[in-house]
Amino acid sequence: MHIPDGILPVWLWLTGFVLMAWALAFALYRLRGMDRKKKIPLLGVLAASMLVAMNLEVLPLAYHLNLSVAAGILLGPALGFVAALLVNLMLALIGHGGITVMGLNTLLLGAEAALGHTLFFLLPKRLSVFWRAALATAGALFLVSLFLIAIVGTSHVDVDVFAGHEHGGETTEHKEGGTSLAAFAFMVLGLGALGWIIESAITGAVIRFLSQVRPDLLAHRLHAVAGCSTAGKDAP
Amino acid sequence: MIDVARIDQWASDGDSPLHRASVAAKLLFVGLVVCGAVIARDPVPLALGFGLLLAVAMTIGLPWRAIGFLSLYAALFALLYAVSLRRGAWVYALVLLKSVTPAFAVGMLIVTTPYPRIFSVLSGFLPEIVASGLFMTYRSFFILLDMMDSFGTSIRLRGGFSPGNIIRNGTNIAKGIGALLVRAVDRSSRLYAVMSVRGYNGSMAEHGAGAFTAQDWLPLGAGAAVLAVVLAW
Repeated sequence: MHIPDGILPVWLWLTGFVLMAWALAFALYRLRGMDRKKKIPLLGVLAASMLVAMNLEVLPLAYHLNLSVAAGILLGPALGFVAALLVNLMLALIGHGGITVMGLNTLLLGAEAALGHTLFFLLPKRLSVFWRAALATAGALFLVSLFLIAIVGTSHVDVDVFAGHEHGGETTEHKEGGTSLAAFAFMVLGLGALGWIIESAITGAVIRFLSQVRPDLLAHRLHAVAGCSTAGKDAP
Repeated sequence: MIDVARIDQWASDGDSPLHRASVAAKLLFVGLVVCGAVIARDPVPLALGFGLLLAVAMTIGLPWRAIGFLSLYAALFALLYAVSLRRGAWVYALVLLKSVTPAFAVGMLIVTTPYPRIFSVLSGFLPEIVASGLFMTYRSFFILLDMMDSFGTSIRLRGGFSPGNIIRNGTNIAKGIGALLVRAVDRSSRLYAVMSVRGYNGSMAEHGAGAFTAQDWLPLGAGAAVLAVVLAW
């Protein structure tokens, strides 16, 4: 879910930028001395694949894939967060809006990647790669949806400032039923649940395929190891 | 599907006054429109601002229908958010215009400015990993689009698509995505290696993309007009 410009209170999206800058600084600190020759192309391909997936519609549900958890599993939490920033920058640059809320959008997408990666490696190894990736995806998407609902709920605190508009010197307010965070939560979780199943199944199958043909991609070693190949090592 | 290749062609081949303006002025134009959208408390001035941008795009021959279609993507979440507020048509209109107007301004920026020129300005203040990643994402996007062109055809020709069999189709599509990823990583790695050998170090080679020119009156004037209408209302 991509939040557009202008609808959230200023203090909220500014907080988003501050938190994103802090998280990005931490991610870049973790990535210092990274093997750029291997990781920058992988970062570019996975960020681009997220963009392509976001624009592919799964019919007849009109659900748009995301692949952020797949990117998180393959890139790791730090590089996954950078990929989330790149995707939001590119989305803003292809006219999808979200310049002011890039901080919050990056935190949401970055959290999907980081949570997906963490859950994938926390789940017991006796589960198959498919089920670990699928469960990690479902869990990450559910938690991030709760995060999105919390952001919208927080923004409703300022709703009177936002919805009250001055007209001819008087402030007119439109209160035709009050705010409904429950309605928003119902729409996000209700519509999202079907999407999570599709996303989980596809992420699970993609990760299983990659673990069979290119297990080195799942090793996500940040630093080059002198004199030895990383292929196959650390693969689940 | 976003037709980034088409956007790139408009940006590279066009010759409107906005094409001739500097990247810095057009980025400022987007900033002014975003400021207008953020501080607006009434849909009327924003509607006027949106109308002004539309008129500019039509007058100078930009693909205004395509830009308008692109900006509608931002309206999807805005509509969901507006419904959650339940404050009536006035607020729905305000929320929709707040999301669509800046998106339209960005649309005007990207159909008149090739991405590498935008990246060259952005790479001036982005961390090197992010700047390199942005460029590689842009290149990989085209690599993936190129590969996906033949993916749909080949999956049908090889019997990978069976109408009604969701599980089999899903498995084959996922394997296809995985195969595309593996090939795209290989091609992208080769590209990065070639660029590194030729001296690429994360910054774009274009100089002067951030300098102002005499043609900047249009983006700066249009952006200032949108902000002024919102402030004066």
